[in-house]
Amino acid sequence: MTETYRGAAAVAHETQLIARIAEGDRRAFEELYTLYHRRMARFLTRLTRRYELAEEVINDTFWVVWRKAGDFRGDSQPSTWILGIAYRKARSAFRSAARLAERDLETATEALTSEAPANSEELRDWLGQALQQLPVEQRMAVELCYELGYSCEEIGTIMDCPPNTVKTRLFHARAKLQKLLPQLATPQADIARENQQS
Amino acid sequence: MMTQTRNDHEECWLQLPWLATGRLSPGERAAAEEHVRGCTACAAELERQRLVCAALREPERVTHAPGPSFRKLLERIDAAGAAPAPEPVPDLGAHRAARTRRLRPAAAWRPPGLAWAATFVFALGVGMLAPTFYRWSQPAYSTYTRAAPAPAGVLHIAFERSLAVGDVEQLLRAAGARIVEGPDRNGIFGVAPAEESTDAGAITPRMRALAARLGSDARVRWLQPLPATAAEPGADRTAAPH
Ligand SMILES: [Zn+2]
Repeated sequence: MTETYRGAAAVAHETQLIARIAEGDRRAFEELYTLYHRRMARFLTRLTRRYELAEEVINDTFWVVWRKAGDFRGDSQPSTWILGIAYRKARSAFRSAARLAERDLETATEALTSEAPANSEELRDWLGQALQQLPVEQRMAVELCYELGYSCEEIGTIMDCPPNTVKTRLFHARAKLQKLLPQLATPQADIARENQQS
Repeated sequence: MMTQTRNDHEECWLQLPWLATGRLSPGERAAAEEHVRGCTACAAELERQRLVCAALREPERVTHAPGPSFRKLLERIDAAGAAPAPEPVPDLGAHRAARTRRLRPAAAWRPPGLAWAATFVFALGVGMLAPTFYRWSQPAYSTYTRAAPAPAGVLHIAFERSLAVGDVEQLLRAAGARIVEGPDRNGIFGVAPAEESTDAGAITPRMRALAARLGSDARVRWLQPLPATAAEPGADRTAAPH
């Protein structure tokens, strides 16, 4: 399950696609878009709870990719470049729409549920709700780390911040999630075991 | 075993998410694992991290097809006339010579809409084309009749805006055409019969047959008319664009 931790061949292929996009090649553009749409739709939908907003962020991101492909020099991986654009677009989309205003960590709300999740699918639903309560920087760090599997340094590149800031954001996110989902504090032995086996 | 310090604990605690996802460097990982073995708090937190990780990586129940979103984006790009990078104004003679080698025609210098075609063929007509090319079969295109047609061997075509890139390719493949130019910022492609080289520089019967096939497809928004010439007896009638 390292869909996002791409090998050198994938990185080379995506770099080549970006070079073709810089020359106006729409087939390359469609290929790259399709590659990223699924990953981005998934985590952005979880960040926003709304597909239309996720789609808006994806298209705003690829609008920039289309126009700026010629500026991509390959100093970073294509995926960190693209997700970095996506992060900035997501942040401004959330803010301008005032749909998900930043919330103060200290005013942590009460737990979403006191029941233990029956399975990891249920836990995921609750995590989705809990993520809504985090500031966008923390939500993004959570998705990039746990779901997309980026290293601390890669997340720093995407979010344009030092690795220590990434660690701090995740630290606060973890504390908040634990407050919202107390069952995380006492993980169900069976879920943990099931998880270890897979 | 090494003595656990408070520093070790804090450092390890911050790294636990990546210990769970397997994205620590070998050195960091060895140090973190060493600490976790002797720290119950970190061991429990690592369990929770693995739980969160597994939950967030569950297979999706709903997936969204990228096609409709991509079409919206292309419409936006077309509406904005967005070329990824501005191109220098090409020399027309050089453009014609290089036509068969280049996938992408110069786009930035063309005026919007169909006007570019008239500019293009008129400029070429000045010295390059034979007088027989002046006769057109379609009165609907009378605005072009005083100009020469576009270079032979390439047929210019535009599709319905709503047509996805994949659909355009499928349509062309089915018609026996291949893309030799474009699309430019107005969505205009240059195509040629799949089995024919464009170097011939003449309107061949295959080209006319291709134009007829494409012209009868409702998804084709515009098709550059081909000149009717007496020099090519037996040629199909020029396709009627709509
Ligand atoms: Zn510890």
